[in-house]
Amino acid sequence: MTRIEELFDAVLTGNRDAAVEVARRALEASVDPQSLIDDAMIPAMDEVGRRFEEEEYFVPELLLSARAMKSVLERIKPLLSQKGTSHKGCIVIGTVQGDLHDIGKNLVAAMLEGAGFEVVDLGTDVSPERFVAAVEEKSAKLVGLSALLTVTMPSMKSTVEALEAAGLRDRVKVMVGGAPLSTDYAEEIKADAYADNATAAVRVAQALVGA
Amino acid sequence: MNGRERILTALEIREPDRVPLYIHGINEESIIGIGRHVMDGLPDPKQFHDMTEPERLKLLEALFLIHEEFGVDGFTSFEINQLRDLDATHAVDDWGVVYKRSPHGIPVVCGHPVQDVAALDRYTPPKPRREHLLLLDLARERFRGEKALFWLMRGAFVLSWRLAGMSNLMIEMHEDPGFVHRIAEMTTVFNLQMLELLAQAGLDVLVVEDDIADTKTTLISPKHFREFVNPYNRRLVERAHQLGLKVVRHSDGNLWKLLDILLESGYDGLNPLEPQAGMTLDRVKAYCGDRLCLLGNIDCAELLPHGTPEQVDAAVRKAIEDGGEGGGLIICSSNSLHPGVDPENCIAMFRATHKYGAYGNT
Repeated sequence: MTRIEELFDAVLTGNRDAAVEVARRALEASVDPQSLIDDAMIPAMDEVGRRFEEEEYFVPELLLSARAMKSVLERIKPLLSQKGTSHKGCIVIGTVQGDLHDIGKNLVAAMLEGAGFEVVDLGTDVSPERFVAAVEEKSAKLVGLSALLTVTMPSMKSTVEALEAAGLRDRVKVMVGGAPLSTDYAEEIKADAYADNATAAVRVAQALVGA
Repeated sequence: MNGRERILTALEIREPDRVPLYIHGINEESIIGIGRHVMDGLPDPKQFHDMTEPERLKLLEALFLIHEEFGVDGFTSFEINQLRDLDATHAVDDWGVVYKRSPHGIPVVCGHPVQDVAALDRYTPPKPRREHLLLLDLARERFRGEKALFWLMRGAFVLSWRLAGMSNLMIEMHEDPGFVHRIAEMTTVFNLQMLELLAQAGLDVLVVEDDIADTKTTLISPKHFREFVNPYNRRLVERAHQLGLKVVRHSDGNLWKLLDILLESGYDGLNPLEPQAGMTLDRVKAYCGDRLCLLGNIDCAELLPHGTPEQVDAAVRKAIEDGGEGGGLIICSSNSLHPGVDPENCIAMFRATHKYGAYGNT
């Protein structure tokens, strides 16, 4: 088994210690760090996503794999910046103003990181102004808005409008998610897309930013 | 039949005189919105926590009157006054779980006191407190056997993740199963002690409220559910039955993967049957309607917030057609009557249950 295959397996099975150890040995053997991401970990997370969609994996398995990938990423990130290699783009994510729920949002953030995006997680109860500031500061390509409560859904609309008012809307895509949402609602508030679970969010994000 | 008899008959999968009506959960804003149809002097919508004592009494009176005026057959109680303020926006419960108060509904968990084995070793769990049963006591005195008394008891999964953090608990299901079992056991000991108090206080129906699914599937695998959740909740079912109570299992979401496990665990009823999560009444009725009473299914995600009273009337009529035959159906919304629902639509749901629910056997 090659080191790439070993890393793929370690991430797929959520074995953080094994993933970190394999990555360390691979780097010692001068394997290109970008190749660890592109050829091992992203394919592994794609497979995790497929298993989740097929209900072979559930949230705990998703969390374990995402954690394994994140642990390796943290160790190889400094090497990537030295080499001038970049991630797929920056995504700003958060639960909208008035809403404190974050379980679904956290899962989406973990999966997006697992797919190779830089994720800036603003947390919960995030005002439109904070979303705008983060998009500007990070030159984000995409914003992910989450809401669990019907009554906080209008905050999504306010956030889209704030991005528009700040002149950012033509360079940032907006995707929305959360239990009470739908594609219809996304269209109604002029968001670009709706995703109904964490793995769908990865697919939607990739499609929106052409990653 | 009175409401209590109606509910208990339906939970035994027999036909009462009509399909019973039940409110699983209801927020302050909905109590006030519906309550204004039955009484004057209610405050503007705000959280119970932010109300004055006279406003709280008004709110409670409105809640009781809604059940009386609209013929709701069961009354739901739960622990009240169990949170202590930490600061203007945060509160803590007897377990040490920290919550952030939300202007839009129940407080949201944000701090977990037992995140690892070392914390668990140091931890002393609380004992149930009789004074937390105040709402049940008030309801018992008010309704005097006319309505079935329900109690919302959080089950092993919800109590465990509140203590340990959800992501953390889920990861430990793989990495340290013993930790997860110790927490589940601790919550179950508490719940069993609470159950004794509830039975002494005159409870009729225990609701094991333990959300375990989203609209697509379960959060954890059936294997993990069988290992870490169901055996603990099943002990509640068994003890409640010994005490003469009925037991309803509540979980949001798509429960198809767990339905057989729930059936073999002895529950009397299942709630809230979210239509958006594939829990359509005709399908669930066909699968297990002869073994499990079905409570819920009137859509509170789209229909009750955005539909018309006519659409609600039609939905209740269809639910009774799909699920009423032979008993074992209790009409209820597909989750709580949250702040987003339209009070007129809730009233339409109550009225339609009376309009279409008669079994014609009296």
